[in-house]
Amino acid sequence: MASQVLPLELIDRCIGSRIWVIMKTDREFTGTLLGFDDFVNMVLEDVTEYENTPEGRKKTQLHQTLLNGNNICMLIPGSNGPDS
Amino acid sequence: MDTSLAIQEPFDLIRLSLSERVFVKLRGDRELTGVLHAYDGHMNLILSDVEETIMIIDQHEGTTGEQHTIAKRKMDMLFVRGDGVILVSPPSR
Amino acid sequence: MDESPPPPQPSETSPPPPPPQASTGSPTDFLKGVVGKRVVVRLTSGVDYKGILSCLDGYMNIALEQTEEHVNGTVTNRYGDAFIRGNNVLYISAAEPV
Repeated sequence: MASQVLPLELIDRCIGSRIWVIMKTDREFTGTLLGFDDFVNMVLEDVTEYENTPEGRKKTQLHQTLLNGNNICMLIPGSNGPDS
Repeated sequence: MDTSLAIQEPFDLIRLSLSERVFVKLRGDRELTGVLHAYDGHMNLILSDVEETIMIIDQHEGTTGEQHTIAKRKMDMLFVRGDGVILVSPPSR
Repeated sequence: MDESPPPPQPSETSPPPPPPQASTGSPTDFLKGVVGKRVVVRLTSGVDYKGILSCLDGYMNIALEQTEEHVNGTVTNRYGDAFIRGNNVLYISAAEPV
């Protein structure tokens, strides 16, 4: 029988680590993952938001943030994002 | 009266605005003011004595400036489908 | 060099030690921590609402007090109270360290 790791188990193992979140739109976030729920709404700390616009990339620093799971496309565990 | 004590969930804010004139921001750069008669859990709304404001942004090729045209119109009674609602603000108390 | 006495061993009868943190960092815990505080709510359209978080529900519908609407960094509106429909919300961020 093949061992199986559920996708959200993998994310659960990232709690306390840096994570890179890519949204369905031209927007990305990096931060330390504090927690998440069944909808993959995520609580992040020491957050950087990246907005990719035709004029270039805009960065915004944020404190603790609850990110709505609705618009999330991909998660990259352990990465510090587009600058790393 | 401190209304913040009476608000336990967001919909309380809307309940307390029944029969009052409210400001509604909608998708597509539309704004409404009107008297709130009814609402439901989808934020479907019934408003009366409504004024609608539409912001039309004209972008001309080769110019940096944007031209904003503001169109206004009035309606006696209006149903607003909830999924278009962005924000509802009751009158300042 | 001084030897400090070893810490007392927990006996079988003593209650278990409290967890190191009362909060586990889940979305619910975050929201409990920021109700009544200044927050930034960013919508998917990029518009920001800065105000005091009154309350919210499971759809992320939000009630804000003393709200300023910011578009491209400039204040475009002020509301005493504002209801924001949750489907428009991109994130809720604490305006000051939690």
